[in-house]
Amino acid sequence: MSREHRSMAWTPLLFSGGLAFMLFSLFMAVPFGEPLMRVGGMIQQTDGELGAANLVTAVVLGYRALDTLGELAILFAASTSVGLILTGVKQRTVSVECEELGELFEQASTLLLPLLIMVGFYIITHGHLTPGGGFQGGVIIAVALFLPTLAGRGAALLNHRLIQQVEGGAGALFILLGVAALLQGESFLQPWLPVGEIGALFSAGTLPLLYLAVGIKVGAELAALLTHLSTNVPSPEVPR
Amino acid sequence: MSTEWLPLVVALPLLVAFLLQPLAHWLGVRAERPSPVLYGLSLMTIAATLWITLQLGSDVIAQPLSVTMGGFNTPVGINLYLDGLAYLLLLATQLALLLLWPAGAAVRTHVLLLVLAASSMGLALSGDLFNLYVFYELLAVATFGLIAASPGRAAPLVSFRYLLLSGMGSVLALSGIALIYSHSGSLNLADLSMLAASGEGSLPIAAFLLILVGFGVKAELFAVNSWVPEVYSVTSSRFAALLAGVVSKLAVVMIVRILLLLFPQPEATDPLLLLGILGLVSGELAAWRSNDFRRMLAYSSIGQLGMIFIAFSLSLELGLFAGLALSFHHMVVKPGLFLLLQQPLSRWRVVLLILFALSLVGVPPLPGFWAKLALLTGLVEVGGWLNGVAAVTFLVATVVEAGYLFRIVQRYYQEERPIAGSTSSTVAAVESPWGWEGGVALMLGGVLLAVTLTINPVTEQLQQIALQSGDRERLISTITVSEVE
Repeated sequence: MSREHRSMAWTPLLFSGGLAFMLFSLFMAVPFGEPLMRVGGMIQQTDGELGAANLVTAVVLGYRALDTLGELAILFAASTSVGLILTGVKQRTVSVECEELGELFEQASTLLLPLLIMVGFYIITHGHLTPGGGFQGGVIIAVALFLPTLAGRGAALLNHRLIQQVEGGAGALFILLGVAALLQGESFLQPWLPVGEIGALFSAGTLPLLYLAVGIKVGAELAALLTHLSTNVPSPEVPR
Repeated sequence: MSTEWLPLVVALPLLVAFLLQPLAHWLGVRAERPSPVLYGLSLMTIAATLWITLQLGSDVIAQPLSVTMGGFNTPVGINLYLDGLAYLLLLATQLALLLLWPAGAAVRTHVLLLVLAASSMGLALSGDLFNLYVFYELLAVATFGLIAASPGRAAPLVSFRYLLLSGMGSVLALSGIALIYSHSGSLNLADLSMLAASGEGSLPIAAFLLILVGFGVKAELFAVNSWVPEVYSVTSSRFAALLAGVVSKLAVVMIVRILLLLFPQPEATDPLLLLGILGLVSGELAAWRSNDFRRMLAYSSIGQLGMIFIAFSLSLELGLFAGLALSFHHMVVKPGLFLLLQQPLSRWRVVLLILFALSLVGVPPLPGFWAKLALLTGLVEVGGWLNGVAAVTFLVATVVEAGYLFRIVQRYYQEERPIAGSTSSTVAAVESPWGWEGGVALMLGGVLLAVTLTINPVTEQLQQIALQSGDRERLISTITVSEVE
């Protein structure tokens, strides 16, 4: 390694260190938590108008639903990009060179699958009541669906076509729930359906439905992405 | 049509994007194959958003409108804000997409372009700082995929480097937004502009600089624009035209909105002026040194955007008008140039090329001259030594610009020296068919000539739009009135 190279090696570290220091000193200058912020105070005064016991859900799916739609689309764009890039790559199924994982592991993965899916759906459907929700529950579902591949039993469980349809349908559900409010003469993405009693499972109007759409979409998308990545490995000797 | 339908211009392309792949399965089209049906569906979606925009925006120049999302009043909820500037940007985005949509692309490319369309329109419309960031991120992610899937062999690497730079920019911009939020407790632009009038201290300026550098990545701001020549030279000329023409302007307008509404003080405009000058100098000199036609245009685009930043840093009616005029002029000329070099240059194409080049350099009576004149008079009127430096740099840069643009034309007449980067190595003797790209370039040339003939009414309209978008009281009152109803 030449001298210039060695001195260059420090530059990224210096840069990131400086950046971290700058951001740190900037954020030390702002108060945290106290006093209550302008919008935060306003939301506290709304007094559960959306019927969601979990205030975070009211913000994510109610007051800032358009942002959530954007976030969903970002994940979707990322997974579509991966698909687009990998189609140009020569397809090759990897045979994982590893020892038998053992009886215990395989059985455990079979047992865990329904359990994880149940936990995932529990977290999604209780998103308006307790911490959690569509994004978190969706990731758990994705892990559940990816488990068979991890355990070395192939992706037999995953029907690509089905999963893509489920994913597209869930995304469409989110937007159509918003458009349905429009058709009733309200604003786009305005929560509708009766609010019900705060704390009950069937409450908070359309918010749980929106979270269900988010959860299914995230779960299906991540599962498809992980399987895609684990089965389509670019062969190093073939240039693009 | 009720104004409540405005968010559909964002939601509709997203809906179709979500459903396009299941639909392809249903039709029996593989995701990596082209499909005329899905191509038509995508175009119809964009046409539908164009229709909605035309329905709602016909008199926004007289009366801008604000639409709240989900029925929640600002600043708790998000609002979309449609004024003359947003209306023009929407129309430009939709028309550019309709004209530049790749016909034989794979299904997934259509999906990503639809996402790109939705996020561009969201960027033009959003009246909320964090919502702007979300759409900016969405635009970025869709762009990474589209660049990486370009046919060039270097495309994945170029896309990855762009991703790193853009990612760093996003971190900075998000930090800036977080600083503003924790300082003021609000994210709504109108609300923030009311708070900004009373705001003091250096923290907001630091936040603005973070946002400027962060969002500057897409706006080809100096020092964070190293991706520009690489990306424009690997992507297809249609996509390069789209990126250079529309996407960069969206990022510029986003920065300008934040600047006008939140930070009208000199501490914020001076860095913008300085970075603009540096961008102008570096871009034009690099273009002059460059031998590859495409890279030359990419560098020239950096220079032009530097010029636009200089104009916006003047931050008064004249500067705003000059900036908008330069932006829209660049929006017509640069895609035209990118499309022209897709094809072998023949006599009539060179005539068109000369027309674009003359306007870009600023020869009267073409529109480019009036835009540049507005900038120059603005700089002189405001005065100050930094503006003087900007004016001198600007004049020198124009000479350099003329130098390299006419080198291209000169090459055509010398004939024995081929133009690097152009599709054919020799100049076609016979007029080859113009094709779609050539047709669009011809149309853009027609637009340029039409504007030349109607320069007075166009200037008046643009001046009104500039006045309107610089009017903070108007914005605040529009958004508050829409809530009382």
